Amino acid sequence: MKTQRAADIAVGCLIALFGIFIIYASTFITGGAAHRLPPRTFPMIVGILLLLCGTGLALKSWSLRGADRVIPWPEKEGVRTILVTLISLAFYIALMNRLGLPLATFVYIAFSIWYLKRSKWLTAIVISLITAVISYTLFIHLLGLSFPAGFLFE
Amino acid sequence: MGFSFDYLFQGFATALTFQNLFWALVGCFIGTLVGVLPGIGPVSGIAILLPLTTVLPPTSAIIMMAAIYYGAMYGGSTTAIVVNIPGEASSVPTALDGYEMAKQGKAGPALAISAIASFVAGTLSVIALTFFAPMLAEFAVVFGPPEYFALMFMGLSLVISLSGRALLKGVISMAIGLTAALIGQDPLTGASRLTFGTVTLNAGVEFISVIVGLFAISEVMINVEQRITAISEMNIKNWMPTWTDIRQCTGAMVRSTAVGFFLGLLPGCAPSVTTFVAYDLEKRVSKHPERFGKGAIEGVAAPEGANNATSTAGFVPLFSFGLPTAPSMAVMLGGLMMYGLQPGPMLFAQNPQFVWAVIASMYIGNVMLLILNLPLVGMWAKIVRIPFYILGPMIVFCSVVGTYSIRFQIFDVWIMLLFGVIGYFMRKLGFPVAPMVLSSVLAQMLETALGQALLMSQGSPLIFFTRPISAVFMALALLSIGRGIWSQVKAKSPEAVTEDAEY
Repeated sequence: MKTQRAADIAVGCLIALFGIFIIYASTFITGGAAHRLPPRTFPMIVGILLLLCGTGLALKSWSLRGADRVIPWPEKEGVRTILVTLISLAFYIALMNRLGLPLATFVYIAFSIWYLKRSKWLTAIVISLITAVISYTLFIHLLGLSFPAGFLFE
Repeated sequence: MGFSFDYLFQGFATALTFQNLFWALVGCFIGTLVGVLPGIGPVSGIAILLPLTTVLPPTSAIIMMAAIYYGAMYGGSTTAIVVNIPGEASSVPTALDGYEMAKQGKAGPALAISAIASFVAGTLSVIALTFFAPMLAEFAVVFGPPEYFALMFMGLSLVISLSGRALLKGVISMAIGLTAALIGQDPLTGASRLTFGTVTLNAGVEFISVIVGLFAISEVMINVEQRITAISEMNIKNWMPTWTDIRQCTGAMVRSTAVGFFLGLLPGCAPSVTTFVAYDLEKRVSKHPERFGKGAIEGVAAPEGANNATSTAGFVPLFSFGLPTAPSMAVMLGGLMMYGLQPGPMLFAQNPQFVWAVIASMYIGNVMLLILNLPLVGMWAKIVRIPFYILGPMIVFCSVVGTYSIRFQIFDVWIMLLFGVIGYFMRKLGFPVAPMVLSSVLAQMLETALGQALLMSQGSPLIFFTRPISAVFMALALLSIGRGIWSQVKAKSPEAVTEDAEY
């Protein structure tokens, strides 16, 4: 999928398959009454649209020749940075209910700043500490929002 | 229900209360900050903060949201001028002459003229909004479900057709947005759809999660990929523009307001389009077009004016028809709905105090922004220097907090992450994001209007073509789809198919 054409063919096929899946899933939707729009109609239309457009995109891209665009995918280092960013975000989300917002925020921000700029570990700790304190004081204490406070504050 | 000065004065009385003034100021400040900081745009800024405003009364909350929106439009030019990094597509024309001025040591006057042009265009557009919106709302009172369906259908078609030669990608983007919005209970019958028996999915997918993921998280991914670190060391001195500068820009400000406002009334005509049109117009009418691109001050004033005029114009169809014309307006619509307010003609009849207070607050907000932006030009330019290794995690933190606080469900945050990844790939593969955002917000209203219209006609879709207003909207929608299909068919290369999908 280095070029636009190859990517469009692949994505078109994926979208068409997704459309088939939505059409299939729509057949399980029940309910509705006479002269009323049955609840399955709209999802079915959307599924058909996805199938048609996905197929159209794949076929159109397959038939196209001429100047092709090279997709600016990141290099190895870039891929690694994105993956680490995503995985750390996933851990942040997963840990939020267990550790609570302030502690999970502290861990996430400290790690992220340290990872993106390794020479700045002190900055990472100071900023993440300030953010954690703000997250507790503002959102949990002052605004009274239902964020998990975590074992440190409960 | 139409315009009356009484309503406007009442609106000013509400907007000028201490509480509303305070939240307008907070909104203006956050908005400018959102605009100035690279990596976070107005859409993600409003979407992240929207759930947090639930602690405020509706009028204060929407005043603040609106202030964030037009504040971000004021601040958006700073990175374009100071460091030649246009944070939004709409700031690209500003960078052309603004950065050239900065290189010549005139960054201060460039930033100041951008604030003044934003103020002039913003204020003139609010005056137009004051008169246009109630007039259109009066016209829209006769709208029934068929007209509403046709109007929303036309809006979506226009947005998709603006994908140009990437039409198929625009439709796919819209369809994915619709799919996300269809998950959960059917609005008419309550039947579960696409939930696969899971209880969590029964409550549906929150559009804020979708928008924050698409805009904020994917932007962070793009930035960490490019490993943007520090930005600028430029100091701003002598920010006051000369009278000659202001005189030189007066015509540009007025012309760009007209261009930005009237084009901004159309669905899909985002600031990224109108700023280029205004810049081009200014170059054409100029006696010295050769100065453009080399530091012409009108080249800064015109796109900045158009940018603000367009963003204000978006409130006209939003307030009078309940139709968002851009992703940012879709978030505003979501905000209004969150507070139980239904934008559209009845908004002026049922909640006049609210709507006029918001309009009045825009006059005040523009003055606040001028005060915040002119003397503090140097401070905003310094903020640009916050490195991304600090900014990125902060954006993620705000996104997580904003998304979680919609329903206090961790599921919404996972959805945000999922759409962040989808948004990243959409950007890389040249899929426009705007149709997905608009469709995810409009889906429920679109389906309800379709269901009600078909109920009226006992199942006949001809109802959309036999009623004059809906017939006009449907004809326009079909025309724009036809135009889009034509440009798709004409496309000869894969490169051409993607080059239009910029927004």
